Amino acid sequence: MTFSEFLVSHGGVFFGGLGVAFAVMFSGIGSATGLGIVGQAAAGLIIEEPEKFGRTLVFQLLPGTQGLYGFVVGLMIVGQLTIDMPLIQGLYLFAASLPVGFVGWGSAIAQGKAAAAGVTVLAKNEEEQTKGLIYAVMVETYALLAFVMYLIIANAIVF
Amino acid sequence: MQMAIVKMSSFNLFAFDSNRDDLLHELQKFEYVHFEDLEEAEDLKDEGLKSVTVPESMVEIDDEIAKVRHAIDILRRYHSEETGLKAMMEGKPSYTFKELEEKALKVDYLSAYEDLKELASKVDRIEEEENQLNALKEELEHWIKLDYPIKDLKAFEQSKVFVGTLPIKLGDKLDEELADLEYSHVEIISEDDENRYLFALTSKDEADKLYEVLRSSSFSVVDLVGDGTPREEIDSIDLKLEQLAEEKGKIEDSIIALLKHLSEFEVVYEYLVNKKLRLSASENFLATEKVNLIKGYIPMDMEGDFRKTIESSGLEAYYLEIEEVDRDDPNVPVLLENSKFAEVFESLTNMYALPRYNEVDPTPLLAPFYLVFFGMMVADMAYGLIMLIATSIVLKKANLEEDTRNFIKFFFYLSFSVIAWGALYGSFFGDLIPIKGLVDPAEQYQSILMLSIFFGLIHLFFGLGINAYMHIRDRRYLDAFADAGVWYMSLTGAIGLILSMYVPVPAVLLTISKWVMIAGLVGIVLTGGKDVEGIGAKIGVGIYELYGISGYVGDFVSYSRLMALALSGGFIAAAVNMIAGMLFEIGVIGVIFGIIVIIFGQSLNIFLSLLGAYVHTSRLIYVEFFGKFYEGGGKRFNLFRSKPEFINLK
Repeated sequence: MTFSEFLVSHGGVFFGGLGVAFAVMFSGIGSATGLGIVGQAAAGLIIEEPEKFGRTLVFQLLPGTQGLYGFVVGLMIVGQLTIDMPLIQGLYLFAASLPVGFVGWGSAIAQGKAAAAGVTVLAKNEEEQTKGLIYAVMVETYALLAFVMYLIIANAIVF
Repeated sequence: MQMAIVKMSSFNLFAFDSNRDDLLHELQKFEYVHFEDLEEAEDLKDEGLKSVTVPESMVEIDDEIAKVRHAIDILRRYHSEETGLKAMMEGKPSYTFKELEEKALKVDYLSAYEDLKELASKVDRIEEEENQLNALKEELEHWIKLDYPIKDLKAFEQSKVFVGTLPIKLGDKLDEELADLEYSHVEIISEDDENRYLFALTSKDEADKLYEVLRSSSFSVVDLVGDGTPREEIDSIDLKLEQLAEEKGKIEDSIIALLKHLSEFEVVYEYLVNKKLRLSASENFLATEKVNLIKGYIPMDMEGDFRKTIESSGLEAYYLEIEEVDRDDPNVPVLLENSKFAEVFESLTNMYALPRYNEVDPTPLLAPFYLVFFGMMVADMAYGLIMLIATSIVLKKANLEEDTRNFIKFFFYLSFSVIAWGALYGSFFGDLIPIKGLVDPAEQYQSILMLSIFFGLIHLFFGLGINAYMHIRDRRYLDAFADAGVWYMSLTGAIGLILSMYVPVPAVLLTISKWVMIAGLVGIVLTGGKDVEGIGAKIGVGIYELYGISGYVGDFVSYSRLMALALSGGFIAAAVNMIAGMLFEIGVIGVIFGIIVIIFGQSLNIFLSLLGAYVHTSRLIYVEFFGKFYEGGGKRFNLFRSKPEFINLK
């Protein structure tokens, strides 16, 4: 079996699997970084005001959703994997996984920064904390759009 | 029941300066008075009116407040706060304003305060002494191996003793230099991370030389205090500490015995804070020598009560005029009043901005959409049931402040929507218990996406409708046409055209759609520049307005989050169940861990879903919906009461 024969017969499942990996990996890296950024800001606040722990947790969780979208997309692709799927289907699923992976990566970090600033609002002007929350959520729109686009792509072509 | 911005009347009240205290007292009982600050009213000042000087009693009250606050702070430190649930159930005691005054006036808090102050300062003194002793003890502990009375160290006739510390990082080179000294003995008593604790004995002749050597290694002399050996000294410090602790315990017991006064202090505090507000209200007034001018606002339907309140406040003479407010006056304060249902959504309006007096109150308008959208994003029967049960229990059992109560009620109402959408999607903890829903989000997300966009359409059209309503109400028909009419035409036409690509429509309808859209777009260009001068500018601005279409595209796409959040929540729940399912297959231990995974995973997902739905629905309201008609920026109507901290005031 030559390499190209191998690619034609098993490439589908390989690229499908790669799609799962990309969706979960990059959005996961982004979310982890984002959570880290907010966590640092929150830890600074907790030194002085430990009673705000619960509310800082809300801010910290915000950039966590990108990783979850990536995870969900990963699960959905896993559901379509078969050992003898055609190469083009695998490549197509791989392409479909890219938005949620990469937008998730960038947006989670950006959202982490916005949420860290929101923690400052919580520290200095507690009553306005929800506004800080909403600024951070604005960023998430693009992660959501990427997630929706996966659904549209995956549904657009039936193999 | 009104559903909107409360109608206001403005009043001018002239009353004698000597009656001011009584008058303000009555007005505070009345509560619904908002004073206009006349400090900036230059026209009145030009006529010779002067600012009212704040009464000297303000200083006294501030002093009293500080005392009571101090007493409360002391007592709260010793108050074993009933934790969480129980405290919430009992809540804060409720008083009417009259009860508060009666109770506060009966309390003689001063003697209890003096006792408390003395006890607390005793505790402070003891704690200070304890700190000193502990520091001393810590210092001595390094020298514990030095088995020689401290006072004798300085009493040698032929020898001299050095006691002190050396930084550990500089220590090694010392040994070489010490080798030159004949009559010196240097010993390390102990060491810690940073320092060596050093004892040196030398003859008087060599003392200077040794000191030089030591000093070059950053030696610093420690002056040990005490008579006996370090060990003996530490023992005696321990004894003293014990005595102090006992003494402190006794004093603290007496403080705890005073805890019964805590609720009294709290009542007095609230009373004093209100009294201060009352006195400081006169900063808003202007006065001649004997007469005060008071301007302010009251809700229109309370006019009668307001007149009666003033009449019955025992004024010798007064002059009161009440008139309707100018709707467009930006100084008119805004008070919202809504039905029991819409009321709980007021926090959303407040968070964005209060409406201006001539706008509409968006609260009842956003409430139904919020309800539907929130449910659609969470969409799980079990999550909804948990919300419903939890909020019902809290509402029934707990004595809550009004704000907290409204917040819980908010989720109580939302839970119904969550249950309904959960049933529609056939979701119960994700797929834990299979239910046949009307649509399966995992398979038919295309239809749900269409539905989401359709809801967006209704939402945006409704927003435009409110915009048109406000213009028509104020007889600005052209504005209504320019801000809403032309957009309705363009959007409806465009939607007709887009639909025709997917479903067969009669040719007539297609033609109508096309021309309606074109008419709408032309309308946008023509009316867009209505507020600018010059033909060129008008056309330029009009064409720029066309660019607003891209905004609408963005708005519609934004509603796809209605589908996306429900779907991701559902999938995460399903993933949790899947992991638990795998664990269930490996026997008893697997079942135990599986159950833990389900409880932990589902709890996290409930929290994430609710948080996500809360903020994303808010965003749809603030950005997409409010963007079509709402500006906000009204002044808040300040009730003539201070917000209580320790009690509920009715």
